[in-house]
Amino acid sequence: MNYSLISMEIAVVLLGLGLLLADLWLAPPAKVRLGYVAAVGLALIFGWSFTFSGTPSALAFSDMYVLDPLALYFKRFSLLAAIVVLIMSVGFAERIAAGISEFYALILFALAGMMFAASANDLAMLFVAMELITVTFYVLTSFQRARLASLEGGVKYLIIGALSSAFLVYGIALIFGTTGQLNFDQIAAVASKYEDNKIFLLGVFFVLVGLCFKIAAFPAHIWTPDVYQGSPVPAAAFLAVGSKAAGFALLLRVLFTAVPGITNGWNHLLIALAIVTILYGNLCAIPQRNLKRILGYSSIANAGYLLLGVAALNNAGRAAILYYLGGYLFAVLAAFLVILIVMNDAEGEDISVLAGLNQRSPLLAAVLTCALVSLAGIPPLAGFFGKFLLIRAVLDEAANNPACYWLVAVACFGVVVSIYYYFGVIRAIYWSKDPPVLSPIPVPRVLGAALVFCLLGMLYLGLFPNHLVETTQDAVKFWAGR
Amino acid sequence: MQDYLFYLFALLTLGCGSMIVLSRNPINSAMFLVLAIASMAGLFVLLHAFFLAAVQVLVYAGAVMVLFLFVIMLLDLKVEQRRRMNTLGIIMGFVSVGTIIAVMLHGVVATPVTPVLEVARHDGATEPLGQLLFSHYVLPFEILSVLLLVAMVGVILLSKKELK
Repeated sequence: MNYSLISMEIAVVLLGLGLLLADLWLAPPAKVRLGYVAAVGLALIFGWSFTFSGTPSALAFSDMYVLDPLALYFKRFSLLAAIVVLIMSVGFAERIAAGISEFYALILFALAGMMFAASANDLAMLFVAMELITVTFYVLTSFQRARLASLEGGVKYLIIGALSSAFLVYGIALIFGTTGQLNFDQIAAVASKYEDNKIFLLGVFFVLVGLCFKIAAFPAHIWTPDVYQGSPVPAAAFLAVGSKAAGFALLLRVLFTAVPGITNGWNHLLIALAIVTILYGNLCAIPQRNLKRILGYSSIANAGYLLLGVAALNNAGRAAILYYLGGYLFAVLAAFLVILIVMNDAEGEDISVLAGLNQRSPLLAAVLTCALVSLAGIPPLAGFFGKFLLIRAVLDEAANNPACYWLVAVACFGVVVSIYYYFGVIRAIYWSKDPPVLSPIPVPRVLGAALVFCLLGMLYLGLFPNHLVETTQDAVKFWAGR
Repeated sequence: MQDYLFYLFALLTLGCGSMIVLSRNPINSAMFLVLAIASMAGLFVLLHAFFLAAVQVLVYAGAVMVLFLFVIMLLDLKVEQRRRMNTLGIIMGFVSVGTIIAVMLHGVVATPVTPVLEVARHDGATEPLGQLLFSHYVLPFEILSVLLLVAMVGVILLSKKELK
């Protein structure tokens, strides 16, 4: 068995333990800077991950753990997200009353969970990795316990998380009860025998519901806006990016490695899930005035767009999911970074705090505008190309299944609606009448660097998508051919 | 005999489970939870999972429940007892539970009885269980240790009295 395969995860966990220990000896101002130490550590691990690129596909730990290009993609994705989130957390440190080094350590442990989830090839691994992520986020969301909203968000996340964990574990029990297998490859080997077995189907369906909680898709999406609104900004950002990506990694593996036959038979169910999720997220976002709630509903809508790639049932769709997540990472992190900096300056998360932002800080205004434009899917930014790839993948499938045209129509309608509410925010930035304050907003240098990084990421993926598109297509092709 | 015992324990589990939700006094709910857990331990015994049954009684019915009762003792019970049930909530709850039960029943009825799967049975002894945990399932087992650490850190952070 090749233990070096999990060395990245081990390094992340050790870094987290190191932070917890370092907390004992450091003075409070030095503790805040531990976040930079963690970010640099993760950057080193990110660089180290490229030494694994050559290994085609390796299984370890009685085939529970798989390291293939798909897993590597999701691992690098989560590492990148965690680096930006750690930098955000340093900027957020003033508002966390106690335990800032524990906050960093918990982010690292959640990251370890996401990296294990990226490699899960067994239902036991799936459950354990998902619980590690979810339990960590119970704590992260309610971290500002002096704030009622934070506690409320934490409790809501806890209750719905526990409910969906119950569905997930029930589904796993039903699958194990009918097939006697937990490993994805072994389930795949026997799944064709059980395609008419209702109990087995119910098991798969319950697992799907459990995973929908993680990706914030219908029917387990209801927590999203409240939790985003209540939780500390870095936690909400990590929830929006890392946790959703981990959910999609698991969803892809379950649907297409373990039960591909059933997934193909469920094309209408997947299309319906995507349609409901897109409509719910976009329509409910229209009346919102709170920035974090808007991003919460937008997160639901984006889960719906990503489900397009699942419903397309082809390699192009799966590769498009990976690409779309890449663009989504930069856009969402940039939006949360701007919210963080603006909120450090003035209390309140209402759209009105953005009034006159273009005069107070042109950089913040430009980055937030680009992030929202990318999320809305307007060229030339990354979001447009991601949506384009997803819709094209669905249209490829439309010859076999006319319902795909409905899906594409709903997706386009969703894009139009989303342009409306994103532009409500952009209007507040540039065309507010009589902004109350016009003092410049100070942008700390490191946060500014993170902002520029996200902006460049969006522009790069939008203008030169070839490299990432090829990477994702190779990863998916390799995974499908295994 | 085994069948009768199964139905007895299953009915007990279901009945106590519903009473946990339905009774308005938190202490009563907690006590019904103890009963539900104990009858589930009975189900485990019928499956020859003796170790699991013992752990269920020792850890859940014993240790965890004592903690539950302490927490209930420290909270104000009167509010919960006086709280009116929301009619819409009750209706929605029954509808969703009913739907899930209907779907499950439909699934069970529609599924032909399949021969029992041949899985390795160890009759609940601790030795094979330990060997499985430390060989086949070693990776999830070790990840759980990180999960427990997270839970511990989280509980201390969220309950520590002073925000310094």
